[in-house]
Amino acid sequence: MTKFKLNGANVESSAPAETPLLWALREDIGLTGTKFGCGIGMCGACTVHVDGDATFSCLVTVGDIEGREVTTIEGLSPENDHPLQRAWIAEQVPQCGYCQSGQIMRAADLLAKNPNPSRDEIRETMSQNLCRCGTYTRIERAIERASRET
Amino acid sequence: MTRPRLIHQRTPTSGANGNVPISRRELLTGIGALTFAIGGSGLQTIANAADEDVTGIEKNTSPNAWLTIHGDGAIDIIFPSTEMGQGSSTYLPMMLAEELDADWARVRIQQLNSDDRRFGNPIFGGFLYTAGSSGVYAYMPPMRMAGAQARHVLIATAAKAWSVPAKRLHTAPGKVIDPETGQELSYGELAVRSDFVTAIPDLKTADLKSPDDFRLIGRSVPRRDIPSKTNGTATFAIDVRVSEMLYAAVLRAPVEGETPASIDDQTAKSTTGVVDVVTLPDGIAVVAETMWAAFEARDGLNVTWTSTSALRSANSTQDLEAYATAAESDAKAAVWHETGDAKSKILNASHQLSNTYKSDYAYHAQLEPMAVVASVTADGKAAEIWAGTQTQSWTTATATSVLETSADRIKLNMMTMGGSFGRRTALTQEYVRDALLASKAAGRPVKVVWTREDDLKFGWFRPTAAQRMSAGLDNSGKVTGWHHRVATPSVIAYFNPRRWEQVEPKDIISMRGAENKFYDFADVLAEHVIAERRARIIPWRAIGASYTAFAAEAFMDELAAKAGKDPLEFRISHTANNASGQRLLRTVAKMADWSRRRSDTALGLAYAGYGNAQAAGIAEIRLNRETGEIRVENFWAAIDAGLIIAPDNALNQIEGGIVFGVSSALKEQVTIVDGEVEEQNFGDYQILRANVTPRITVELIRDGPEPLQVGEVGTPMVAPAIANAFARLTGKRLRHMPFTPERVLAALA
Repeated sequence: MTKFKLNGANVESSAPAETPLLWALREDIGLTGTKFGCGIGMCGACTVHVDGDATFSCLVTVGDIEGREVTTIEGLSPENDHPLQRAWIAEQVPQCGYCQSGQIMRAADLLAKNPNPSRDEIRETMSQNLCRCGTYTRIERAIERASRET
Repeated sequence: MTRPRLIHQRTPTSGANGNVPISRRELLTGIGALTFAIGGSGLQTIANAADEDVTGIEKNTSPNAWLTIHGDGAIDIIFPSTEMGQGSSTYLPMMLAEELDADWARVRIQQLNSDDRRFGNPIFGGFLYTAGSSGVYAYMPPMRMAGAQARHVLIATAAKAWSVPAKRLHTAPGKVIDPETGQELSYGELAVRSDFVTAIPDLKTADLKSPDDFRLIGRSVPRRDIPSKTNGTATFAIDVRVSEMLYAAVLRAPVEGETPASIDDQTAKSTTGVVDVVTLPDGIAVVAETMWAAFEARDGLNVTWTSTSALRSANSTQDLEAYATAAESDAKAAVWHETGDAKSKILNASHQLSNTYKSDYAYHAQLEPMAVVASVTADGKAAEIWAGTQTQSWTTATATSVLETSADRIKLNMMTMGGSFGRRTALTQEYVRDALLASKAAGRPVKVVWTREDDLKFGWFRPTAAQRMSAGLDNSGKVTGWHHRVATPSVIAYFNPRRWEQVEPKDIISMRGAENKFYDFADVLAEHVIAERRARIIPWRAIGASYTAFAAEAFMDELAAKAGKDPLEFRISHTANNASGQRLLRTVAKMADWSRRRSDTALGLAYAGYGNAQAAGIAEIRLNRETGEIRVENFWAAIDAGLIIAPDNALNQIEGGIVFGVSSALKEQVTIVDGEVEEQNFGDYQILRANVTPRITVELIRDGPEPLQVGEVGTPMVAPAIANAFARLTGKRLRHMPFTPERVLAALA
């Protein structure tokens, strides 16, 4: 049994310790907003925050996060109104939407550490997350919008 | 049929379209409703629905009710396509709402979850099939007509209620108004009147709204599904959880056509959490209590496969060489398009030019790998399925064929897809089949999930193709004949053999774009050398145009060079009868400042399109001569996609189509060796990332009363624009897509 803090609440996961955090979140705990895309840290669809740092949840095990603090897309903001979520709607970013939880979590980590990133900083950081629909330009605009509005 | 209960971990907020699911109680708040059945020509029937029928929408037992106006003013409109990111789940219903003059805030969108051909896609013979950027243009006429007719019914009913002539009444969103008395009746109030008018109004296209009166069309109404895609509540097939559900990972035959010869599943079966190991026609499903246990246990399977498949000799490099030999020979070919006598015009021309262009297999790389949940009943003859596919018809056909049952015993839940780009279109869907067989064997609902490695290794691809281009030029630099030979397999023959019986030998999936309809060439011959199939193949974004436009437009640049003309002027001189094309070319040239030479970068132009939608694009590229890496810094595009229903979404689709095009032109390549796909995951099948995405500038030139193909128009022009920019920068031609660093260095050497 692994105990950790998830989206501000204390939780326990009964998944075997070697289970990737991604699958423990999606199945054992039932938060499916975090997506499976590649399983090897190449696409970023599974991005969550562990102790405030953007992390590929497919590459850490649930055992690794004993006692640590995890934030998923479901816990990013109390009313789904994080400046990035508002900006994503204002810029009408998503197409299929599958990668967007991970994109928003990556961007939230960026803005938390660098509230006014340059365009190049945005592009470099966001290069860890793939979007096959090709919404990169809008993601960039949405991050700039959220950066202006916070 | 058992109905597994959907487990909601928190308040359910979205169905396939981001709608709040309707509870029975909510549906009964109105005291009745008007339901409208729609067919290809508009309204078919109008009925005053009893409560039971109204709830039937949710139960999907009242498929006639395409449009339901409830007593409380809520309006349900069925969305007959499926959603993969293109946005039509918002915009098809919106076209009906426009003519109905509905209050958009009160409109609820309901996914069609059955193979009900009464509102099939008109351009696909009435099948429920979402492909080819067809949804908007195919469904617009019947949906607008039905909305207009329903509005007339409401006006007529109000006229009767007030005993006034219908002619003097008009509507505002959600209500009928009598301007002389100031009286109003809401659509909800009218819907529950017992004296509603049942005659179906005979309207003509001319009776539809004038574009000047549109309140929704052309106004960038926000997509309904977007909020749920920013907070994790959008539910994809991979996210579906039903009670008692098990998880399955499938070990597949490494080479198509092989089957398991012997299976040692002792280790797998003894793995904690494993419930069953099920032999499938071409693989073995490990069924477990958790997904991770299924993946882990699959590694413990020890399977000997048969070794008789002819596809064990498939090798993408040699197979493409064989296609090139066929393209360059006079081997038998099916005529795809012919006007005049291209061959003799070329033979007798003052100057001739021929070149061969190649393109590799390409993978869809949709971010959601294949995933399906199926729950088969104990008798094995009925099932509920949760899947994201591009077709209710073929998903139903797969299920009825696997379970040897009838369509009425299959309940579909069409989930929003994590991308598709053509991947989920086949007549026989093995991911659906496997979930059905695993559930049937295990006696519980089963979710099948493919890993990325599965999705790539067992992908169905855009076929590899070799194209021989030949043309004649006269002394003034005009093309006198145009001959385009494409050697590639028939995609339709493989992914939908039933369709092939109807269309053989014309394969629009393999050949689209080769018809070259935008130039005013009088003598054109486009031929399909139907090559032997050496891999699983299926439509891929922009289908044939994704490679035929590469060959045609790279060749146009080479012809321009031979004629000593500027590529822009050369194209304009061959579009004398195409005012829109000329406008697009001039517009994009202005956007990119075409005539200004850059010092370290170069521009390349291409003019292509998809179907009837036209696009002119210019790429600005930078080249690292040491590494061979091409960087596209800018992409400008001028697009004529006809009437635009949702301008902002259209731009998003076109930008995405351009990114897709850059990605495939520079990076994407599936390699097959001895029948097996070499690439494993996103490490070796790379798609474009944010840091190398060009700045994209798109101008939509709205022309004509009909909507055209937006979803795919952005892609075909991109590869030739890059190849042409490379030629301008280096004087060398790139004739094999993708333009990988190795190929670039080889071209420079």
